[in-house]
Amino acid sequence: MIQLNNIEKYYANKGIKNYVLRLVTTTIKQGEFVSIMGPSGAGKSTLLNIIGMLEEPTYGSYEFLGEDVTSLNERKRIELYRNHIGFVFQAYHLIDEMTVYENIEAPLLYKKVGSSERASRIADLLDRFNIVAKKDLFPNQLSGGQQQLVGIARALAAQPSIILADEPTGNLQSAQAEEIMTLFKKLNQEDGITIIQVTHSEKNAQYGNRILHIADGVVKEDVAVG
Amino acid sequence: MFKLNLKIAWRNLWKNKGYTFINILGLSIGMASCILIFIFIRYQLSFDEGFKNEDRIYRVISGWTTPDNFFESAGTPRPLPAAMRNDFKQQFDKVAAIQAGGGIIKVKDESGKERIKTSESVHYAEPDFFEILSFKWLEGNPRQSLSQPNTVVLSDEMADKLFGDWHKAVGKSINFQNKVDLKVTGIIEKSPDNSSFPLKVIISYKTYLNQARPESTNWGTVSSTSECYVLLKEGASIEDASKSLPQFITKYYQRDNVSKESHRFQQLRDIHYNADLGNFANKVMPKKELYGLAIIGAFLLLTACINFINLATAQAVSRGKEVGVRKVMGSLRRQLIVQFLTETLTITVVSLLVGCVLTEVALPGMQSLFKDHISFSIIEHPIIFVFMVVLVLLVSFLAGFYPAMVMSGYSPALAIKNKITANTAGLSLRKILVVVQFAITIILIIGTLVVLRQMSYMREKPLGFIPTAVALVDVPYDSMAITRYHTLQDQINKIPGVLSTSYCSAAPSSDFNNESNFRYNGTVRSTFQANTKTGDENYFKTFGLEIIAGKGLSKSDTLKDIVVNETMLKKLNVVNYNDAIGKTIRINDKTGNIIGVVKDFNNMSLHEPISPIVINSNKESYNTIAVKLDSKSILPAMRAIEKTWNTVLPEYVYGSTFMDDKISEYYQTEKIMGALFKVFAGVIIFISFIGLFGLISFVATQRTREVAIRKVLGASTLELVKMLNGSFLLMVFLANLVAWPLAYLFVAKWLATFTYRIDLNIWPFVFAMIISMVITLITVSIRSYKAAVANTIDALKYE
Ligand SMILES: Nc1ncnc2c1ncn2[C@@H]1O[C@H](COP(=O)(O)OP(=O)(O)OP(=O)(O)O)[C@@H](O)[C@H]1O
Ligand SMILES: [Mg+2]
Repeated sequence: MIQLNNIEKYYANKGIKNYVLRLVTTTIKQGEFVSIMGPSGAGKSTLLNIIGMLEEPTYGSYEFLGEDVTSLNERKRIELYRNHIGFVFQAYHLIDEMTVYENIEAPLLYKKVGSSERASRIADLLDRFNIVAKKDLFPNQLSGGQQQLVGIARALAAQPSIILADEPTGNLQSAQAEEIMTLFKKLNQEDGITIIQVTHSEKNAQYGNRILHIADGVVKEDVAVG
Repeated sequence: MFKLNLKIAWRNLWKNKGYTFINILGLSIGMASCILIFIFIRYQLSFDEGFKNEDRIYRVISGWTTPDNFFESAGTPRPLPAAMRNDFKQQFDKVAAIQAGGGIIKVKDESGKERIKTSESVHYAEPDFFEILSFKWLEGNPRQSLSQPNTVVLSDEMADKLFGDWHKAVGKSINFQNKVDLKVTGIIEKSPDNSSFPLKVIISYKTYLNQARPESTNWGTVSSTSECYVLLKEGASIEDASKSLPQFITKYYQRDNVSKESHRFQQLRDIHYNADLGNFANKVMPKKELYGLAIIGAFLLLTACINFINLATAQAVSRGKEVGVRKVMGSLRRQLIVQFLTETLTITVVSLLVGCVLTEVALPGMQSLFKDHISFSIIEHPIIFVFMVVLVLLVSFLAGFYPAMVMSGYSPALAIKNKITANTAGLSLRKILVVVQFAITIILIIGTLVVLRQMSYMREKPLGFIPTAVALVDVPYDSMAITRYHTLQDQINKIPGVLSTSYCSAAPSSDFNNESNFRYNGTVRSTFQANTKTGDENYFKTFGLEIIAGKGLSKSDTLKDIVVNETMLKKLNVVNYNDAIGKTIRINDKTGNIIGVVKDFNNMSLHEPISPIVINSNKESYNTIAVKLDSKSILPAMRAIEKTWNTVLPEYVYGSTFMDDKISEYYQTEKIMGALFKVFAGVIIFISFIGLFGLISFVATQRTREVAIRKVLGASTLELVKMLNGSFLLMVFLANLVAWPLAYLFVAKWLATFTYRIDLNIWPFVFAMIISMVITLITVSIRSYKAAVANTIDALKYE
């Protein structure tokens, strides 16, 4: 599903190139649950952003679903966001002015899903994540874990084939983190959704089935998890 | 989607109540001012609209070129209309004369008792006049009603006034000037307010000719009260008609070497806007002033929009995250722009509603300023509604487009990483906008100061005579009234509080001016014309005029002695004024001796230079008795004068004005300008400074953490306030530098329209700078002081 070939990323500062990623080549198949790990500043977020087409690599090629997406125009990229990719953020990034319900509804509106279909999908998600009672609350009325649940529900609403999550549990306590990870695993195994997450925690990485270790912008290790 | 956007917009506006309030306040005041200006301009542009064939109607203008001057009048020589009718048959369908005048109208009831006596302005018109200008006839028609002598047509309103009900007026008669009885033969609909033709009493032109005035056949005399209108033939061009004018002029005018006559045709739609020529309604509004108002309106709107842009881009950062999230959820940039514009539109619509309320509140003030009934009714004038829609769209776009572009352009990666900072392009643009906004504000402040100073200069400038406590009382000038002049003057002189009285044709300063050719000391005709005034021996004393050589007029009923002013002698190159004493002046076919020289006085508004003036006595030409009063007893004296007047001249109608009122009337336009400047400068200052307040609030909030950290490091409150204020003061200072040259250009140009004007010095500029800097300092300090003394711990705990 994802094919990265010799991806390089550097920031030029006063003529000196500071490499963030060097010759990253890897393949991620449909249905995998990949964790990216490494020390701070290693380039994990940068790699995930490139996979999510939020940033462009300086060099190298990237195919998503067999299509070269290295430099895609806005419209095509947004097509992919609407239909294939869901993002989950460390800081949740819910829209403060919208209720839980509206936050989950937003991507469906962009995808132009009909209103009855919308209602049933949202009801389904609220039900599944046990947040029906919270649907009319605003993000600042929820706990961090609840907010992240909403964040995930929002990512799932458009029924993406892949979820990209940058330290989804970074701001959460371990109990809440476990809940989220279990949810990810379930989504991966039962719904076949591909998941790529960045994490610092070895424990969280164990929920997946593959770990990419990155240091200084280079993939040092690529191990399968039992 | 739209509904959701609207909902989000509401919540966002509510969340940032403070900024929303500032935006709405600024925009609604700005929009209210624009609406007021628009309805005023709309009203002014609606003058003389809707006549049939309006594009083919012209007024004939007369012009004279003298060696050192060119001037024009809306009047024509009285024989001109008939001659033009004859000579321009090819080009004109109709040519008609109309003569303005006034007089006393009396109506008797059945028993012959006098029921109404009133002084009214009247117009003598040829029937063709109404075939050129399509008035609505309620009864009668121009051909039948106005072709006989001693007939009169009334407006329905006037007929109601005279006869109770206009339906009953036709067939009855009114007495005019104690002389003729006029039969009412028709009724026309009253002209609307926005008309240059306020015709109320229209007497047939034959009645006028019957009075056999000598000047009615004279091509050499022109009064601005005799106008001539023409209707161009369909398909003919006015340029072609104008080509025949030189031939027409040579045919009828006697050539002489002093002034050269000319004519031209003025379009009907120009009449209301030409202040030099004037019209029967005495309502003119130069287009230049309308443009000036429109520019001020645009400035106001711009300032309000700048507030909006500044606050919106300042807030933009905090919405960066939302933009990023929406983008990765699949929102197109276009959809985000639409969303942000929806928010702006919401604010704008709310502001419009508030603005409409403000307009309603301000309307009476504007109506009394312009003395006109200006309507703010969308039903009457749907164009106002169209304007408001356009205004909303324009403002939403102007104010909302740039912030929407900036915000929607955030890269999602940066936004999500919380890496968007205020220090991006937005800041320098905000600075530029603040400078622009304050430059506009300062230009208006300087303009206001200069206008107000020129106004007070005009109020206080010595005019060469004393206009205070002088009443100008009308006197009738027919032979019967003249026989009672002596009695009237005697009795008025006896009233306590009356210091002196003088019969005259016009006060020293007047907008009623006669210019005549003359011969000085038996030489050839002079190269310039003299302004003539007549008055009796008390003229100089009553108006406080100063004789600087020779002596004043002595008692005489006809031209014998002459007093001239300094300008006259300067123009005649007489250096020693005493040399002129005893020389003759031949003027209006009579000769007199110069016996005195009067010190120069301003004989017209201060826009105009002083004319060469000839003053002499001539009982036949008086129409006013000027009464100098003791300023302590003006009221009782005026009551006594009116009573005396009515007993001496019971057949006539009393009327009086005060000299200083007349003079302040000259400056009506300037007064309006001054008032408008004051109001709009106030509004702009207000809008700019609430914008500034919003901006500094934002900066202060944004830098709370920085302020807190600096405080922990030991910065004093004063140092912090200085830190926050510095850039704003610099911006306002820069704005002053930008504004000064522009303001100089504007005010210098405006002042140039006055012959007598203040010297433009640096003070209004310095003063504007001080005002703007001080208010900035206050506004900014209040807010930044609050930030500087805020609790440190709170700020550091945050996030
Ligand atoms: N705009 C930029 N300009 C210059 N350098 C940048 C920029 N953005 C990121 N970097 C650098 O790229 C490197 C990798 O950053 P990245 O955010 O991918 O690290 P990370 O592995 O996610 O770290 P962390 O675990 O702390 O989140 C860092 O050294 C950072 O300094
Ligand atoms: Mg990271």
